[in-house]
Amino acid sequence: MTQQAALPVGAMPRPERRREVVPRDERWLGLAFAAPVVLLMAALVFVPLGLTLWDSLHRVDPMRPGTPFIGLQHYIDLMSDTNVRQAWLNTVAYVIIAVVLETLGGLGAALLLQRIRVGRRWLLAAVILPWALPPVVNAIVWMWIYNPSYGLLDGALLRFGLISAPRVWFNYRATALFLVSLVHVWRMMPLTAVILLAALQSVPRELYEAAKLDGAGPVQAFMHVTLPLIAGGLAIALSQSTVFAFNLFDEAWILGGSSLDTRTVVAQVYMSAFQNLHFSYGMALSVLVMVASCLVSLVYVMRVYRETRYG
Amino acid sequence: MNMRKVFLASVAVFLMAGWGPAMADDAKPYAGQTITVLFPPWTTLPKDMTDRFTAQTGIKLDLQTLGWDDIRTKIVTSMVAGSAPADVTEVDWSWVGQFGAAQWYVPLDNSVKSDLPTDAIFTYDGKLIALPYNNDFRLLIFNQDHLKKAGVDHAPTTPDDLLADAKAIKAKGIVSFPIGLPFSATEGSATAWYLLTKAFGGELFDKDFKPLFTTPDSAGYKALAWEMQALKDGLIDPASTGLKDVEIQELFKNGQISFDVAGWAGNLSVYTDPTKSKVASAAVGALMPNVSGKTRTFGLPGAAGIPVASQHKEAAAVFVKWMVAPENQIESYTVLGNLPTRTSVLQTLDNDGKLASGKVLLEQAGSVEPLFKQGTPGWYPQFSSAVATALNQAAKGQLTVDDAVKQIAVGATDAQK
Amino acid sequence: MRAAALTRRFGLWLATGALLLWSLGPIYWAVATSLTAPTDLVAQPPHFLPPRVTFEHYGKLLGATSSYLGTDIQSVWPQFSRALVNSLVVSTLATVATVALAAFGSYAFVRLRFPGRNLLFVLIVGTLAVPAYTVMIPLYRLLVCLHLIDTYLGITLIYVSAFLPLALWLMRSVYQSLPLSLEEAARLDGAGRTYTLLFIVLPIAAPGLIASAILTFLSAWGQFMIPLVFSPTLATKPLTVLIPEFVTKNYVDYGLMNAAGVLAILPPIAVVLFLNRYLVQGLMAGSGK
Repeated sequence: MTQQAALPVGAMPRPERRREVVPRDERWLGLAFAAPVVLLMAALVFVPLGLTLWDSLHRVDPMRPGTPFIGLQHYIDLMSDTNVRQAWLNTVAYVIIAVVLETLGGLGAALLLQRIRVGRRWLLAAVILPWALPPVVNAIVWMWIYNPSYGLLDGALLRFGLISAPRVWFNYRATALFLVSLVHVWRMMPLTAVILLAALQSVPRELYEAAKLDGAGPVQAFMHVTLPLIAGGLAIALSQSTVFAFNLFDEAWILGGSSLDTRTVVAQVYMSAFQNLHFSYGMALSVLVMVASCLVSLVYVMRVYRETRYG
Repeated sequence: MNMRKVFLASVAVFLMAGWGPAMADDAKPYAGQTITVLFPPWTTLPKDMTDRFTAQTGIKLDLQTLGWDDIRTKIVTSMVAGSAPADVTEVDWSWVGQFGAAQWYVPLDNSVKSDLPTDAIFTYDGKLIALPYNNDFRLLIFNQDHLKKAGVDHAPTTPDDLLADAKAIKAKGIVSFPIGLPFSATEGSATAWYLLTKAFGGELFDKDFKPLFTTPDSAGYKALAWEMQALKDGLIDPASTGLKDVEIQELFKNGQISFDVAGWAGNLSVYTDPTKSKVASAAVGALMPNVSGKTRTFGLPGAAGIPVASQHKEAAAVFVKWMVAPENQIESYTVLGNLPTRTSVLQTLDNDGKLASGKVLLEQAGSVEPLFKQGTPGWYPQFSSAVATALNQAAKGQLTVDDAVKQIAVGATDAQK
Repeated sequence: MRAAALTRRFGLWLATGALLLWSLGPIYWAVATSLTAPTDLVAQPPHFLPPRVTFEHYGKLLGATSSYLGTDIQSVWPQFSRALVNSLVVSTLATVATVALAAFGSYAFVRLRFPGRNLLFVLIVGTLAVPAYTVMIPLYRLLVCLHLIDTYLGITLIYVSAFLPLALWLMRSVYQSLPLSLEEAARLDGAGRTYTLLFIVLPIAAPGLIASAILTFLSAWGQFMIPLVFSPTLATKPLTVLIPEFVTKNYVDYGLMNAAGVLAILPPIAVVLFLNRYLVQGLMAGSGK
């Protein structure tokens, strides 16, 4: 019986077809191990989340008396708010740029780290360094780099003759969006790299050797051996970068202020709830941010798991 | 939560009649209490001052500092959650409408009204919600060396003069962009436009808060057109679309611009300090140029208020009052550079020769008016970020002057909804 | 064959160089800025090397008296060191608690069957998508009631709830990739579940634990909005909240900001160097079997 009990390995747990008798001590031990996690998350995330959801159905505006129930009114208003729409478009752009660059860059960095033998520790430390910089300092460092008069970017471009006069890159929406994303990618890419490195590290070396014996080239070995085995890590990394890009705030706020060219949805949440004091309106928008990033992540997770052997 | 809020708001705390240390020496009714105080970094009171307060009143101070934007986040979070962010907090002039409407601050009584003209700005619905301790208004600050080299011997008095002088400076090659104005989508860009609207002799809104800046003959329209003209003529750095007011000030200190058009009154002391500024001997203040012959400006003072959820309202009131006592205002100016709010204190400082460009500063201080005659409305922050956003777009060439003022008007209507 | 190996090696070096430039370039610029005198900062074109190296920004942070708006005030070091300690304490507490909870919790979600485990797992991992602003105010209310505002415990609890989902998910994928045979063998030898987890499974799962620890430590280290609200005073205020205070209303001190930033990245780097020795070396030992 114990032999049978040690089952499902599936990444996305599936309901077991056959109803097995789970030993009682296993059930209790499982509950005991999971209980602290569940209790903590319930108290500090689920209950507050529920309260906010409830608030978003009311008009909670400290400047007006009472908190009448207004149903989905905030959500309907959000649909027709032009600033909100613009902020969503910006956020979608950030998410696409950030997820693509972070995943490719992070995977590249992880593969490189896997391969390098000498000084791997130091290279990893160097790769992680950007992430250690507090976000606010990070944005200020880059603000200094992007400074049209004294910055490194224009200085370097001028020196190499790529531009003839300093450019104000933030005067163009496309470059402004890209430059803000770049700051975010620079800071968050290490996270993807660490997650993927951890996944790569757990691929047994024998599998590569087996693939090599089968005559597989490096690309084939990667596609057929590495990729399926790090699928779990990849799903985590993709979801992470998506969620963080949806929540992008500091970089855009410090580099662009409330400029509509770079304003993100979370910046809009901040402005609605904390600057304009339309508290529950801002909370309704933040709920939508959560739903959107959750849905997008779910798409990856499902896809990644389906396309690999776990499917 | 709301019940509690209303109840607490109705508990008005009246300051005691006496002012200055005399009353503190008589009795120390709140000795032993500790109050928390939340101020921005530039009001980090030195230990000498806080020790003196404790010696005078027996009340201990727990001074907390937070960055500027962050203070507001902190106040809103705790007040919405129904607890006090601190016993005394900074209250900016621009928050008065919101915090007043939300009844978040204890109404105060001011017994030195005549000496504290800016308290009108902190009055909401007839109630004084915070006592101004840090004066601020805008005036023109310029580099007189640049002007002399360009062959101009007096400060510009009209906006057109200012453009002409800037052109002369640029033509002589003294600096490439003589006029400093921020155009980033931040508050500083918006306040500069409000100031110029006053300079062009107008108001932003009529008494019913209907926009007054949409027609080409209006002051607000002209002010925006003036800014765009200066930008087009190359008198303002195109990179200003990314610059905040503080960065414009850096440029002035480095001698890279000749005019800090929306200069902060308190900054004259920084600009004339050789350890902080490369143009210490050249920086002087001038009355804000205008079209009517009468200079105008508006006040942006900072104040100290007591949140309704504070547990030590009486002790907090003692501290708030202490902040505006003359000797503390003087020390706050000499140590921190916070310009006093009391007219008599400004006068004393000028008599002692401690005020850079003192005569101009005092005269301009006399012309300070509130930005909104009706009091700062609750929708001001939303309106102001719409203004900053539109100015930023106009400066980037994404909007014409006409479209920009229309967008601002729409922003004003949205904000008032 | 030889040429190919050479090209491969060259490619590796090239990639390493590019990666280093990307990661360290901006850091170099921050370091250079922190060592440049204020007057040289505003040079056109910018200097790639500080023309005169100055430690005045670090001096302001670390010692002597500093000048604030022309007047001498006490140095910022007492505040800075206090905030540094706060950052270290809170990040460490959060890391230890998160990794411990994730190590046991994930194991339960992978290997132990109990009612509702799949639903619970999906719900908990789903909270990754909750923006900080969404729960901030109810959370604040809760912590006020519990008198946990401005305490290490309060802020640690929030961090754990924020970073636990990721650690949980990561550990789950690590446990899943471990061969079952080891556990079964242990069980056949008569070892209990808890014993197996502690002495057989956890040692092989070390790389996952280390990765989770690095993720949690650095995420906690970089937090701004949460401590801004929940750690108002120097009793618990971390560096990330203190540093922006150097941007005063009248003066953006880029040199000082960059110096503070450079100092702020040193401790996490020390931690990462220490931890990743295990991340890089530790795992090969077990997983091959």
